[in-house]
Amino acid sequence: MKSFWMQSKAEIVRTLRNKYYIFWSLLIPVLFYFLFTNIFTAPRDDEALWNVHYLMSMTTFSIMGSSIMTLGIKIVQEKAEGWTIFLHITPLSQFAYFGAKMVAQTVIHLFSILVIFTAGVLINGVHLSFSQWMFCGIWILFGSLPFLALGTIIGNIKKVETASGISNLLYMSMAITGGMWMPIDVFPSFMQQVAKWVPSYHFGNGAWEIIREQYPSFLNYLMIIGSLLLFMVLSIYIGKKQEAV
Amino acid sequence: METIVELRHVTKEFQGKKAVQDISFSIKRGEMVAILGANGAGKTTAMRMMLGLIKPTRGTISLFHKNPRQKEVLEKVGGMLQEVSVMDSLKVKELIQLVQSYYQSPLALSTLLELTGLQEEVWNQRTEKLSGGQKRRLNFALALAGNPDLLFLDEPTVGMDVTSREQFWQKIKELNRQGKTILFTTHYLQEADEVAERIIMINKGEVVGDGTPEQLKEKLTKPRVMFQEKSPYSLNFYRELPYVVDVQKEKEKVTLIATNSDQLLQELFERQLEIQHIEVKLGRLEEVFSQLMEDTKGVNENEIFLDAK
Repeated sequence: MKSFWMQSKAEIVRTLRNKYYIFWSLLIPVLFYFLFTNIFTAPRDDEALWNVHYLMSMTTFSIMGSSIMTLGIKIVQEKAEGWTIFLHITPLSQFAYFGAKMVAQTVIHLFSILVIFTAGVLINGVHLSFSQWMFCGIWILFGSLPFLALGTIIGNIKKVETASGISNLLYMSMAITGGMWMPIDVFPSFMQQVAKWVPSYHFGNGAWEIIREQYPSFLNYLMIIGSLLLFMVLSIYIGKKQEAV
Repeated sequence: METIVELRHVTKEFQGKKAVQDISFSIKRGEMVAILGANGAGKTTAMRMMLGLIKPTRGTISLFHKNPRQKEVLEKVGGMLQEVSVMDSLKVKELIQLVQSYYQSPLALSTLLELTGLQEEVWNQRTEKLSGGQKRRLNFALALAGNPDLLFLDEPTVGMDVTSREQFWQKIKELNRQGKTILFTTHYLQEADEVAERIIMINKGEVVGDGTPEQLKEKLTKPRVMFQEKSPYSLNFYRELPYVVDVQKEKEKVTLIATNSDQLLQELFERQLEIQHIEVKLGRLEEVFSQLMEDTKGVNENEIFLDAK
């Protein structure tokens, strides 16, 4: 058990020292948030609502990024550089290795959420009730699960360059189609239909509902859990297939 | 002494190509064994199979009479592998403490520091900023972190300078004296000869020799009987002597390569040949080794011998 906590702690420390994480998962979302709520703004009926809405967009955008990118690429890198091979000859189990990564990611996500929420309060004086803040935080942690599973699928890729290319592509296309950069109501109707099928939309939508004093819809839950199961099965299947070679 | 490593008829094929062919040997507690062979001979594959990193196509391997993948086995095993980088974004000390936490009875930090010669100023450096030599030391520290009974070292001295190499082997000998079993691969003959009590020679995936350096010399090399002629004999005369395999002659200096030098000497005396300054030399392991190397394509023989010196 001690090794599990040590491993989780090491993973947390490593992520916090990772410049890419600081830049892409903290600085960029906060910067975008500032720009799109203060500089490039269209006249809106309800500016306060937009400020909260976009805060949730940027938080989910950040969390989705570190789930797919930080987790996936690190796994590939550790495999490519042989660190995973070394771990195989120590008593640390595979379960503990992946488990610690998940625990660490969750702690990191909690940290990112706190940072970005705080930025929202400081930049635009965003106001939500305590239970809304809590619910949003919990929803975002929960909704990150399928993207962590997606990260482990990326983790099966052999080369770091390929992994980083593919995860970037997935990340950006899901962010756009899911309406994290701009709300899907401004999309053409065809794109609006597409959005309903990407997990990133449902991830964001859960939080968008909460700030509107609603609850995430049944479909949001279903899509998050469904894609989590799908990605987990895929990840395990690909992992087993590679082991057999 | 108890047998702690056992390989029985182990074969490994990669896409139909045999990397290791039907090898069998066992290692007892406290032994210091070198697996010697050219690059690509199958040393690393053999070692990785012993560590349970790759499964043999056929045959069985046991460590401490158990499957190498069992947790209680892994508790007692340490390894320094090739092409293994370390976790980045951690300080040396943090990484060592992390790996120590994987084991039930790890070696103390101060002992690791002393054994591996890692300087204290390196202690707080990030692992990705270490030099090649420092990385090797760190790998060594990680291999020892769990205080293993059985230590696997895959080409441990590659990339080390002469002084570090000497220091390294001193520490390994010390660990061996403390009762640790050590198994290392090398393509430096001299290293195997000097450090190991036993050498297992591997060529093209097969074990071609197994014994103490002396036994190997006896078994694999042929002795020479050298003398000067007082009156000349023909090459054919020498060739027809019993126990003679080959003859070299330079002016009056003759070298007979024999299957058995004792019996050949007796023969020479019985025939009362007119010769003087008789010398007997046991064969050199280098010859056997270089012969093996010649059979192995793509290996620069000169490099091996330059390195060995």
